[in-house]
Amino acid sequence: MLSNDTKQIKRKTITDKIVRGVLLSLTILCSLIIIFVTLFILIKGLMPFFKEYEINGEKVRVNIISFLFGTTYFKAPATYGIGFVFIDTIYVTFLALLLAVPVSILSALFIVRIAPKVLSKLLNSIVELLASIPSVIFGMFGTAIITKFVKWLSNLFNYQSSGGLSTLASAIILALMIIPTITMISVTAISSIKQDQILGSLALGASKTETNYKVVLLGAKNGIISGIILGTGRALGEATAISMVCGNEYSGPTFNLFDKTRTLTTSMLQNIHETSGLDYDIRFSIGLVLIIIIILTNILLNIVKNKIGKKYAK
Amino acid sequence: MLSKGRQFKNIMGNVGAYASIIFTILVIISIIYYCFSTGINRISFDMLVNDYYETAYFASVEKNDDTYYSFEEKEDVYFSSKWGIALKDDQDLEGNKCVKIYYIDSMSPFANAKKENSEESIVISNGMLVKRIQFKTEAGNEIVTVKNGSEQIIDKLNSAIKIDEFYFASMGGGIRGSLLSTIYLILLTLVISLPLGILVALYLGNYAKDNKFIQILRTLIDMISGIPSIIFGLVGVIVFIPFVSVISNTSGLSILAGAFTMSIMILPLIIKNTEDAINAIPKSYKMNSLALGASETQTTFKVILPNAISGILTSTLLSIGRIIGESAALIFVMGSAIQDDVNIFKGATTLSVHIWTVLAAENPNYSLACSISIIILLVVFLLNILVKIICKRLNRFEVK
Repeated sequence: MLSNDTKQIKRKTITDKIVRGVLLSLTILCSLIIIFVTLFILIKGLMPFFKEYEINGEKVRVNIISFLFGTTYFKAPATYGIGFVFIDTIYVTFLALLLAVPVSILSALFIVRIAPKVLSKLLNSIVELLASIPSVIFGMFGTAIITKFVKWLSNLFNYQSSGGLSTLASAIILALMIIPTITMISVTAISSIKQDQILGSLALGASKTETNYKVVLLGAKNGIISGIILGTGRALGEATAISMVCGNEYSGPTFNLFDKTRTLTTSMLQNIHETSGLDYDIRFSIGLVLIIIIILTNILLNIVKNKIGKKYAK
Repeated sequence: MLSKGRQFKNIMGNVGAYASIIFTILVIISIIYYCFSTGINRISFDMLVNDYYETAYFASVEKNDDTYYSFEEKEDVYFSSKWGIALKDDQDLEGNKCVKIYYIDSMSPFANAKKENSEESIVISNGMLVKRIQFKTEAGNEIVTVKNGSEQIIDKLNSAIKIDEFYFASMGGGIRGSLLSTIYLILLTLVISLPLGILVALYLGNYAKDNKFIQILRTLIDMISGIPSIIFGLVGVIVFIPFVSVISNTSGLSILAGAFTMSIMILPLIIKNTEDAINAIPKSYKMNSLALGASETQTTFKVILPNAISGILTSTLLSIGRIIGESAALIFVMGSAIQDDVNIFKGATTLSVHIWTVLAAENPNYSLACSISIIILLVVFLLNILVKIICKRLNRFEVK
């Protein structure tokens, strides 16, 4: 009997070991996905600069310098330039953040600190709903409403915009899309401020509003900046919505709010199913640039976060 | 008392907060209002079950006897007692004027219509659209089209002897294909990613120690969610389209490749939600199970897994929402051509991509796009509410 039991126990431990091993290998497999993704994009993205393509009987290769710093998107047969696209992308994202960040932070402040409990729960749900609206619906709203608004605005300034397809419309749409992201994370950050700090500030004679701005918001700044980082990532990577309102300008950079613009993601989406060969492969190179930009912005903003964190910690 | 300057600052501060929240609410209200005001008229059951493309049919109809047919009169419906067919003016799903077949007598010549220039019979059913009728009268040949309206068509038909060409079409503008492919995509994606995600979550939540190696694995998995969806589209093009081509002997875009692509996109979401639910299970459950003699594996799959069901359900619902809303990656992997015949080895559009395609066309059809948006919004909002309910009801371990 006894030996039977030990056998059973031994078998159990062997199954346990196998299961554990299988689960661990699956976990490792999943974590390798990101490395494979980067690797594939890297290899495929570098191809247009090394492989020769035959276009109209000519053998051509994309020049990497003019690709990175060019101010015209496409010149036949094989000159691509995304230098200006890069600048336009950063510009549009910056404008979107300029619009979205104050609105998001103050909305979060209202939800946590000013609104009564019932209302704040309701508002929280509304923000979550806004976050769950798919980007293509934002794009549709943008083409139908925002572009008309921009057209009207440009007419006020006596400026001829191309039907409202513009930098401003793109920035507004992006802002609307990242407001819920930043708001939700700011709400979490603001909620975690300790009641003692607030009471202390009030006891020292600061008014409620002063406390909200100078104690609560400052205290929650790390969380808020995390929200902004996430929002920036979403804005940089957004494709469908913005491709419907940006107009895909062919040269630049443009800083005029009412002019057409072009971002990295919209270049990748433009006429995607009507093209092949080099014009298709170049999109992988743009994707590679996009990944690098997103990683760099993340690092940069994290440095900013640490700096600000230290500055106020003293 | 506060000084005037401070009072002013206070008021401005509050005004800013109020204005921001009002702006946020206005945004969501205006989006919903726009979708509903433009698209609600167009939503109907027909739209959900119809094909997107009209199919044209041509038939010839001959009348050999002198029977007359009767029909109970209805408003706006015109009936030809000679031919036994009733027509009605209507609007098709695009909002254009059309003439619908309202009723065909079972004995009428239209019920035994033949395909043009052949002896094969063709079925003309109610609800199909009349496009053009070319017929012979005593005086000669005549043609009536949709533009004449049903009253005139019936009027002229009564003088016809023989119908040479009856051009009619099944109604188009529906979203059946996109609806089906969305459902296929959701099912396939969940079948691929749920088991994998749950197993990984079981390892991370139940087995993994908190050491450097596991932390690196965690960070790498988290990083997936920071990558924009369009990049996954590119990965799908590089990896999954060739893979599916090899296993299915087809080439190019496919729903299956889309499902693989979506699977890696939603993995971090499934892993995180399931792991959170596993972490919420009290340690004593595991200890008790082990103390009662169950092995580690039995404990994992019979105690931990059933108790993490709320997390699994939440992640499933969130994934569905994500898949319905995704467009950029799917445009790359599944294409943007709307299909009526859905096959998982061929390209198709989901509802979101359907909107994109409709709006990218030369004449954007906003009312169709809005009515699809309404469906998407309703589903997404419903999922949102369900997630909340599940979190409240099933989360038994939350500290009260």
